[in-house]
Amino acid sequence: MMISGGGGRSSWSSSTSSWVPTTSVSASGKRIQREMVELNNDPPPDSSAGPKGDNLYHWIATIIGTPGTPYQGGIFFLDIKFPSDYPFKPPQVVFKTRIYHCNVDPDGLVSMGILKDDWSPALTITKVLLAVRSILTNPDPYNAVVPGIAHLYLGDRAKHDDIAAEWTVRFAK
Amino acid sequence: MYRSSNIVARIFERQICTPAPSTSVHHARRFYENLVPSYTVYEVECPDHSFRKFTDDGQYLISFSRNHQELIVYRPRWLSFSCKDEDCDKHDLPSRAKRFDSFFTQLYCVPLASCNELICKDFFLYMESNQFGLFATSTAQIHDAPAAGGAVHGVPSIEKITFHLLRLEDGEILDKKVFCNDFVNLTHNMGVFLYDDLLAIVSLRYQTIHILQIRDSGNLVDVRAIGEFCREDDELFLNSNAQGLALSDKNKQHQLPGNQIENHVHQGQPNLGISFLPGIKQRLLSFIFRGLWNEERDDSLRSQRLRKRFYFHFQDYVDLIIWKVQFLDRHHLLIKFGSVDGGPQVSRNADHHPAFVAVYNMDTTEIVSFYQNSADELYLLFEQFCDHFHATSKNSMYMNFISSHSNNIHALEQLRSIRDKASNSSQFVKKMLASLPFSCQSQSPSPYFDQSLFRFDDKLISATDRHRQSTDHPIKFILRRYPYSLKFKIKPGPEAGNMDGRAKKISSFLFHPILPLALSVQQTLFLQPSVVNIHFRR
Repeated sequence: MMISGGGGRSSWSSSTSSWVPTTSVSASGKRIQREMVELNNDPPPDSSAGPKGDNLYHWIATIIGTPGTPYQGGIFFLDIKFPSDYPFKPPQVVFKTRIYHCNVDPDGLVSMGILKDDWSPALTITKVLLAVRSILTNPDPYNAVVPGIAHLYLGDRAKHDDIAAEWTVRFAK
Repeated sequence: MYRSSNIVARIFERQICTPAPSTSVHHARRFYENLVPSYTVYEVECPDHSFRKFTDDGQYLISFSRNHQELIVYRPRWLSFSCKDEDCDKHDLPSRAKRFDSFFTQLYCVPLASCNELICKDFFLYMESNQFGLFATSTAQIHDAPAAGGAVHGVPSIEKITFHLLRLEDGEILDKKVFCNDFVNLTHNMGVFLYDDLLAIVSLRYQTIHILQIRDSGNLVDVRAIGEFCREDDELFLNSNAQGLALSDKNKQHQLPGNQIENHVHQGQPNLGISFLPGIKQRLLSFIFRGLWNEERDDSLRSQRLRKRFYFHFQDYVDLIIWKVQFLDRHHLLIKFGSVDGGPQVSRNADHHPAFVAVYNMDTTEIVSFYQNSADELYLLFEQFCDHFHATSKNSMYMNFISSHSNNIHALEQLRSIRDKASNSSQFVKKMLASLPFSCQSQSPSPYFDQSLFRFDDKLISATDRHRQSTDHPIKFILRRYPYSLKFKIKPGPEAGNMDGRAKKISSFLFHPILPLALSVQQTLFLQPSVVNIHFRR
């Protein structure tokens, strides 16, 4: 519930229209810009992303916890770093918000096939966001980085969901 | 209707008239128009202490020794002397009556500071319900302290800050709370706020709001720490979870999270937490995000708006630090966020750095609202509901009579005239909002500062407890009502004025909250002993 209306409005001294750096002429930069336009025109549901400050290679993404999952009600912030040889190498995706999930390591790093060996230059940031969002709905316990959570997920789903929901309430509100 | 301002007429009127409902206290306070501290004893012979203040119930006068080691507490008394003649009012006071100790009785003197610590003479909080006093001692400030172990860079460090809780009745030290290698802004109580029995202490260096409770038994009990985590057991929860996971990883079995590590919780931050957003920032960012998200329905427009207004500034929001905190009630805190470059004296250069205030609910751990310090909406709330920002404890009813522009038409007029004169309205709003969050117990409840009773120059004197540059002219207190006459004058310093008119003089005024009694302390900058005058009703 919003009480202050547009309370979040801010007017930092820098101009908000200068977010595209004028110097990015590299191929990766162009590609990232194109993906940004694409993301803008057709954003994936309940998630969004954008460059942090004026650095095109460093983004922040937000995923709203999907209703019906233990992550419901949470707002998850992620740090996305693009390598300089993007799209030939995958971006690095790290949760800035604590999350209880078998595919997210204790430091927040997201571990998914498509962010490692299964990466393809045909994938885009939009697809990465969709993929991250989908593992929040359907974790992949067989490729887990936190085996303890994966075991609990497979062995006692209700307990797993309770703990994950408790994490969401405590750390992701 | 004609009303006499004669005190006898007033007493008679009090006998025969019932004041309008809820105005009896206001009526009674009008007697202060007749009872004023108009007589001055100049250059009182008194101990060379630095006098801090009268407690808000008038029971104690707090002072510190010049070497900042000892606390000396006095009980204010009314002077008494005998006189042989018939009409003794005509005579000057006998010299014995003019002494400091005919007005004040020393109750005790206790050493507070030990070895390299000194009493912070700008810091004192009073818990009226239990007559407890909170004092602080600290070692020297280190300005270029390395930002080790998660400390904010650019904030000075103090090796040891100790808060002492004393029973003022007998000076017994009840409890202590020590902060090591930390920084709490103790000037004018800025970094600490007391509300009922709850105490909020802001650690600037570690960006944590420590909430403590003062028990009736005289113990300082940690309630929660807001910063890295929001709930009191978040860290425990995380550690027990982490341990449960580590065990199950090792043993490949289903180890349920247990609570056995309770004793180890405070042995250091879990190092896995470093890269995550601190709890309070997560709440803040998700509040801002939600606001922007819900504002716009169209996906594409929303995406653009978030990019420009949220992601672009994301790091700036992350870099904001907690500067100051006050309670609004037992559950809500008003928190000021600003940039680290703002410096501890944020108000002075408020214009250069963006600052924000947020209302935070400690129990639900939710940000309730968030404003920039130039927000007109916040200013309007401040103008109309200023008293709601002055959170005062339950039993201090007289605090309701401290004049503010929300409860006093004259103060409001004054504020409006400043606003109308201001050339730049956004500058004006920022300047006014710089006083938020308010400092705790920074205003004197003395009725002589009630702007519905008296008019005075608030550049020279006001209810706000501050040192002021003083002139040789006496400060006039003029009646607000008919006959609008000059009622009394307060003149700090020697009666004849200073020998050296050019020397800079600093004055402070200590008004008794109830009696027509005040101390003025004037100090020249060259380490001379201060000149103390006693102002009272003869």
